[in-house]
Amino acid sequence: MSELTDMLAEYKEVFLEELEEQLQLMDEVILKLEREGDSGSVVQSLFRAAHTLKGSSAAMGFEEMKQLTHHMEHLLDQVRGKKRTVTPALIDLLFQSMDCLKQLKNDIEASDAPATDIGRIVKNLETFASTKEDEPLTVSVTGSETGSETLRPPLSLSDRLKIQEQQDAGHRVYWLQIGIVSDCVIQGARAYVIHSMLSEWGEVLLMTPDLESLEETLPGSLTLTFLYAGIQEEGEIRSLVTGLTDVACVTAELVEGNETAMAVTPAATGKAAAVEEASPAGKAKSQTIRVSVERLDHLMNLVGELVIDQTRIHQVERNQRRRFQDDTVSELGHISDHLSRIIGDLQESVMKARMLPIEQLFNRFPRMIRDLSRDLGKDLELVMEGQDTELDRTLIEEIADPLIHLIRNAVDHGLETPDVREQSGKPRKGTLRIRAAHEDNQVVIYVEDDGAGIDPAKMKASALKKGILTEEEAELLTDREAVDLIFRPGFSTAQTISDVSGRGVGMDIVRSHIEKLNGLIDIDTRLGRGTSFKIKLPLTLAIIVGLLVKVNGQTLIIPMSNIAEIVRVTNAEIQVVRGQSVITLRNQVIPIVSVHDRFKGEFRREEHKHIPLVIVGSAEKRLALAVDDLIGNQEIVIKSLGSYIGKVDGIAGATILGDGSVALIFEISSLFHKAGAK
Amino acid sequence: MQVTAQEQYVEFGIENEQYAIRIQDIHEIIKLQDITQIPNVKPYVKGVINLRGKIVPVLSLRNLFDMQEKAPSKSTRIVVVHHQEDTVGIIVDRVSKVTTFSDIQPPPDRVGGIDGNFFVGIGFTKGGLVGILRLDEVLLHE
Repeated sequence: MSELTDMLAEYKEVFLEELEEQLQLMDEVILKLEREGDSGSVVQSLFRAAHTLKGSSAAMGFEEMKQLTHHMEHLLDQVRGKKRTVTPALIDLLFQSMDCLKQLKNDIEASDAPATDIGRIVKNLETFASTKEDEPLTVSVTGSETGSETLRPPLSLSDRLKIQEQQDAGHRVYWLQIGIVSDCVIQGARAYVIHSMLSEWGEVLLMTPDLESLEETLPGSLTLTFLYAGIQEEGEIRSLVTGLTDVACVTAELVEGNETAMAVTPAATGKAAAVEEASPAGKAKSQTIRVSVERLDHLMNLVGELVIDQTRIHQVERNQRRRFQDDTVSELGHISDHLSRIIGDLQESVMKARMLPIEQLFNRFPRMIRDLSRDLGKDLELVMEGQDTELDRTLIEEIADPLIHLIRNAVDHGLETPDVREQSGKPRKGTLRIRAAHEDNQVVIYVEDDGAGIDPAKMKASALKKGILTEEEAELLTDREAVDLIFRPGFSTAQTISDVSGRGVGMDIVRSHIEKLNGLIDIDTRLGRGTSFKIKLPLTLAIIVGLLVKVNGQTLIIPMSNIAEIVRVTNAEIQVVRGQSVITLRNQVIPIVSVHDRFKGEFRREEHKHIPLVIVGSAEKRLALAVDDLIGNQEIVIKSLGSYIGKVDGIAGATILGDGSVALIFEISSLFHKAGAK
Repeated sequence: MQVTAQEQYVEFGIENEQYAIRIQDIHEIIKLQDITQIPNVKPYVKGVINLRGKIVPVLSLRNLFDMQEKAPSKSTRIVVVHHQEDTVGIIVDRVSKVTTFSDIQPPPDRVGGIDGNFFVGIGFTKGGLVGILRLDEVLLHE
């Protein structure tokens, strides 16, 4: 039994992932249904999603979720069968069910026992389904599929091609019939286990009943039929399967080469339709696999090592070339060049494997906006662009919260109510535009509204009232700086605190979150015209482009994404204002920070030399870092300093350079927080 | 921790004193390498080294025991230990040998000016007394 619990825990992960996906899909589809009304395919995809969830939640033993999805499915079936039309009431009910499903999901994530009460919503669904209809459907749609189907499913053309392919590759293809013992506790889970074991030994081309439709079957035996391809002999595969827990009997029958050419007669027409219907989904599955992020991280680490070693080999080769001139050295050169090309490709492939389209995140927004605009009495249109922009999976997760916060802010504070908009001569309907794009090796995300914009005067007044600023300070502020007050801790312009925004999680949290990801956030606002937030992120967290600089003989790395520009100045250009060295660059006064004191060194100003200054930025703020020397930029692999040293103020991590030495990576945002605190 | 007399230890020295760590806690012993300093860390943490692609922190027993700084010599070594999840290097003046102790006594409050908490016990060998380090305290000393 404990083995089973382990297995279940493992599958719970997979289940939750799938659940997340399906819920998002359903949200999208319901929105579409609301917008465009009923078209056969929309309802069909929603129905299918509900059905899939029902199957998998039943297999996992989540009774509440199964029941809820069952009732949703039931209702959707009526719509599908044209017995019911799409009404706002129906949409609302569906959304309510979705919320309940999400709660159940949270319950499952937290523990195995769902605590959410589904009684009310199920009742609503039931009443809804039974109104208007004289004869509510008594037979659930899946009723016909739950029986233990032992017949071989019909083979579609693509299945036959797959068999052919496997046989061409020298694999043996079998029909496996596996009986599961009748007293097995959760047959569904067992079927999952068998499926996954078979997938490890070879490849499962087909399975009946398919995993999705496996319900808690009636007590009694369950027979699974697999079309399996592998390298094992008939006896071998049989003994492998027999070795699995809870397997009662196994039959294996080799599929001959010529058999695939024949069309196998469909066992039942209904079943055939079901299989046909499921085939697009099945096909898509066979082309993608789920890989745990951990494994990808590990892979990325290994590639990182390779990148480092490659730089080292290159360096060795250069040293050798200087000393010797013979064939071995030039051969080493060739190998090193080739290696660097391959490693470059490998690095790119692994990075790509970690990338997901930002769509994953954007898909959550339409529903959120719908609810928000409803709650706040605003009318707005959401425009999303660049959903296919890809970025690192970890980044997508990390950026979700800040982005949601920005969107909520935009709807709550940015956009005006329809009446106000009309008065100021704007269309009643506001526009919220969220777009993503690649801009030179970075990802940029914009959140733009055509709302009221941010009023610098109001910002100042509010900051004064909250004691963030003194009168004198406020007077010195430019409009630009006043707008930037939004990023100050403890600042929130909301007049009334709604549950939408202004719960103490201010823009300062958003900013520090983004900076933690080596990103930048910028704000551009025009009074009465709207506000635009621009978030710049690196493509990936693991490998960044860094500028190598020398400070006190030590090599340090400044992330390229933080660098605004690099200038060289003479001593004469450096002014001192109230004890602080500054330079003036295009009318902007930038304080100079010496990096040296952090490394127990002195900044030696050599009179004859130009001093390199690296101008780094955070929002509109700029600081100039004085360094001894610039070495150049390079792709670097970020490594943590480890738990022993822990988080060091001002240091984002370290990397290993081509010569094998360790170089520290600067954390620019901490510099600003320091400067801001002064 | 129950210390049995049969356990093997790696004995090393700083100045004229001898210390030891259980052999199973030791990952490897390497020559002194270039150490990258890190600002704002505990004073006895010298920095980090690159141990075959892994970034490993290095600390100095001299600094930890408030002894005089001394320029590294040919015999200076880094004893790399595994402790809980961490790999940490400890800089010592020399590594002497692998040894066992005929007798181990609990440590006194202070051992030659060093807090007794740093030690699991004092081991007896033919060569004299050896302070057996308590890694928990050595590595996580505040």
